[in-house]
Amino acid sequence: MTHRLAPLFEGYTDIQADIDGRPADTADHTAQTSRTVASYHPRRLALTVSGIITETVSSATFRLRRPDGADLPPFLAGQYVGVFADGTNRPYALSSGPASLDHWDLTVRRVPGGRISNHLIDTLAVGGTLTTTGPMGTFHHNPLFHGDDLVFLAGGSGVVPAMSMIRDILDNGLDRRFHLIYGSRTPDDVIFHEELDAIAADHPNIRVDHVMTEPGNGWAGPTGLLSSTLIKTLAGPLDRRMVYVCGPQALYPYALRQLEELGHPRRRIRFEANGAPADPTRQAHWPADADPGAEVTVTAGGTSFRTPRGRPLLDALEDQGIRPEAACRSGECGLCRVRVLKGTVHNAEEARLRLSDERFGYTHSCVAYPVTDLDLDL
Amino acid sequence: MSDFDAVVIGAGNAGLTAATTLQRAGLRTLLVERHSIPGGCATSFRRGRYEFEVALHQLSGIGSEGQEFSLRGLFEKLGVIDRLDFVQEHDLYRAVVPGEYDVTLPADWAAAVDVLSDAFPGNRERVERFFQLVKDTTIWQMAAMRGLPPEQVDPTYFRQGLRPLSEVLDDHFDDPRLKSVLATYWTYAGQPPSRLAFQDLALMLFAYLEFKPWHIRGGSQAMSSAFLDSFLAAGGEVRFNTAVEAILTERGRAVGVRLDDGQEVSARDVISNASLPLTYAMLGDAVPTTVRNDLATRRIGVSGFVLHMGLDATPAELGFTTSTTFVNADLDEDRLHASWHTLEPARGICVSSYDVAPIGFAPSGATHVSLMTLQYADAWDKVSPGEYARAKFAYAETLLDRVEVITPGIRDAIEEVDVATPMTMSRYLGHPGGAIYGYDQDRTENWLFRNSERETHVPGLHLAGSWVATGGFQPTLESGHRVARRLLRHQAA
Ligand SMILES: Cc1cc2nc3c(=O)[nH]c(=O)nc-3n(C[C@H](O)[C@H](O)[C@H](O)COP(=O)(O)OP(=O)(O)OC[C@H]3O[C@@H](n4cnc5c(N)ncnc54)[C@H](O)[C@@H]3O)c2cc1C
Ligand code: FES
Repeated sequence: MTHRLAPLFEGYTDIQADIDGRPADTADHTAQTSRTVASYHPRRLALTVSGIITETVSSATFRLRRPDGADLPPFLAGQYVGVFADGTNRPYALSSGPASLDHWDLTVRRVPGGRISNHLIDTLAVGGTLTTTGPMGTFHHNPLFHGDDLVFLAGGSGVVPAMSMIRDILDNGLDRRFHLIYGSRTPDDVIFHEELDAIAADHPNIRVDHVMTEPGNGWAGPTGLLSSTLIKTLAGPLDRRMVYVCGPQALYPYALRQLEELGHPRRRIRFEANGAPADPTRQAHWPADADPGAEVTVTAGGTSFRTPRGRPLLDALEDQGIRPEAACRSGECGLCRVRVLKGTVHNAEEARLRLSDERFGYTHSCVAYPVTDLDLDL
Repeated sequence: MSDFDAVVIGAGNAGLTAATTLQRAGLRTLLVERHSIPGGCATSFRRGRYEFEVALHQLSGIGSEGQEFSLRGLFEKLGVIDRLDFVQEHDLYRAVVPGEYDVTLPADWAAAVDVLSDAFPGNRERVERFFQLVKDTTIWQMAAMRGLPPEQVDPTYFRQGLRPLSEVLDDHFDDPRLKSVLATYWTYAGQPPSRLAFQDLALMLFAYLEFKPWHIRGGSQAMSSAFLDSFLAAGGEVRFNTAVEAILTERGRAVGVRLDDGQEVSARDVISNASLPLTYAMLGDAVPTTVRNDLATRRIGVSGFVLHMGLDATPAELGFTTSTTFVNADLDEDRLHASWHTLEPARGICVSSYDVAPIGFAPSGATHVSLMTLQYADAWDKVSPGEYARAKFAYAETLLDRVEVITPGIRDAIEEVDVATPMTMSRYLGHPGGAIYGYDQDRTENWLFRNSERETHVPGLHLAGSWVATGGFQPTLESGHRVARRLLRHQAA
């Protein structure tokens, strides 16, 4: 292997002796690398449903384990996994805490008219199998700058990542204050109600306030929306506390306004990714003359099909049985990136595109809408 | 007939330049990448209002228009020069060891001599002599690599080229601080001066001083996308989210690949940008003994630990006047190198501030900064998965402690921060140990002792990238192009 010039160099003999004297590296590097990737960031996991807990009339927790009982990959409280079902996938936050990796819990709430939430609750049974991605996402406590005094504004199923964060604090004995302000429609809708109240009663560093929009007669607690006044009354001055927000889409602009009214800096507010916009035409840059109901022709993966402008490209492709990688379905993770060869898309505000993507025509298909006829490269 | 003339495994720097070179020369080429995006290390990702550069700290070799032997020429040949905007850095680096020195070296031979003789009086001539040796060594090395007969090569080169950098520095200087400042780039190769061949540091210094350090607007991802664009425009085919699982052979010759969806693709030639251990493992039993023995004497190289940060303050407010700063605990490079096998507080960091000469990744009024230390994966192999997050953040704090020396209060400006460990690198590159420069680049990895790029011992198989050439952007971009050209020449003959 040695070059013919090598012996002409000062130091050649020493270096050659070093090479010749080395103990052989006989490790199986390929296997080691796959093991590392599999234990931290597997692409897919086939998990067994080992238990189902009915949380409320409209929500259930699915306990997942590896078929061989081994530990699941580690995650940060607040992260989600992609769940595959019915020809598509959806992100679901883990509700269990990261301290016990022998199982993961997913807590799913029915979305009225929703495809996968209802499918999971109606069809998953104990003993069944569920395919997921590894843990993903950036909506988690980051000790490097979030601090130890936290506020979480949750609505509906938005409590799921908060539950995991609370469990993390308890299970790991973390020195962290956590104030959950959790809005629900009625007391019956509150997920983890008893458990949350019990935890709050036992742990001075965890505080939970339930807020009802339709309280009924028996409710004596706070009511209405999570307004600035209410936040101030319940949480006191926010100072530099990190505020997390997770819940229905409508909560986001509302919560942002309330927090801004309180003078809270934008960079101390963190929103969980939240799906494609319910109505992309309401974004200022939606082209005025583009009827979202009208159909355009999309050509991709060797076929052409018609799809309405108002349907995200990723969903339209899946309708045709074409399944790009995808996880967050909110424009954030970039896995669903495709290239637009011809035509124009509306990139929703949610799209976290790279600077170079615009130049080279890439888009995140989960939050891109076909404004004109399109040619795509998948 | 084969499905393709060539299959390229992996779309890192070398895979991209190899594929683009082949396709533009008329070979029907398939490029296969396991990740969803081209670039390998040369990529970026978004967090909040920011985009984060993953790997490019300073691009060497770009040079100015018309300058010979520059990377610019390669970019022109491969049709990407018009698709890229380069941003020049005016300084090589600021080097800081608290209590010892704080020196900013301009990216200019003469100005660098001035700065060093001001900071270390009485050393002007020594620095000049050292720089002359740097230039001569680099020029003779390039000539020797290109096959100039040895009797025409200056014998000084054979005397100095392979000596450890530390010895050559000792010959020139007495002041340990000056030696330390001049050796600063050793971390870009991952080997301390006692183990790094002088010619390797000489080449780096030359590449940055002669051709200047550069950034790319849109980051290294813009470059990777530009190569892909040029490859596709020439008619190339690419498959993302697809890994090559096996290299198919017939009577010892590589004849195609099997993809992870089971599909088999035949090709006259297979070019791999994947790691050497993985590539040869994909051949199954077809690995020649010579190769097996050679690989057994090579050591999986160093990986990195990086804090990618979005800061809600301008570079000036943070106190950044230069893009690249190295902050080390002391002058003991061997000690620093040894610490990369442990989780003891980071002893040396490279701080890149991407908005002194903006690349477009931070909104106005804000700054994208990365903090990096090298680290071996074995430091992390010992951490259990359940302990991983805690260990990662605890270690990250030690890099922040280190950077506070030059930007006190930086923690208060943090708006986003994401941490990458050797495990992260492993995941995204598929390389053993998450190695970012291939094998450990000590003196035994020199082109004088290893020739996997020129001789793979498997006909039809070609290797390009950090595992066969030197690691780093310029060397890997050049490696892919060189391997492709060699293949084309061979076919023409
Ligand atoms: C954080 C960081 C900082 C760095 N800083 C610098 C710096 O400042 N200056 C510098 O010059 N260098 C730096 N480097 C190093 C430099 O980026 C790398 O050495 C160089 O990019 C490697 O290029 P490569 O061509 O060898 O390919 P790689 O980037 O190693 O890419 C290999 C590609 O092959 C793919 N692949 C692997 N196996 C398969 C398979 N079986 N099938 C399909 N695809 C496969 C991988 O997914 C990957 O895309 C840094 C690296 C990192 C990570
Ligand atoms: S699926 Fe994450 S960006 Fe589209």
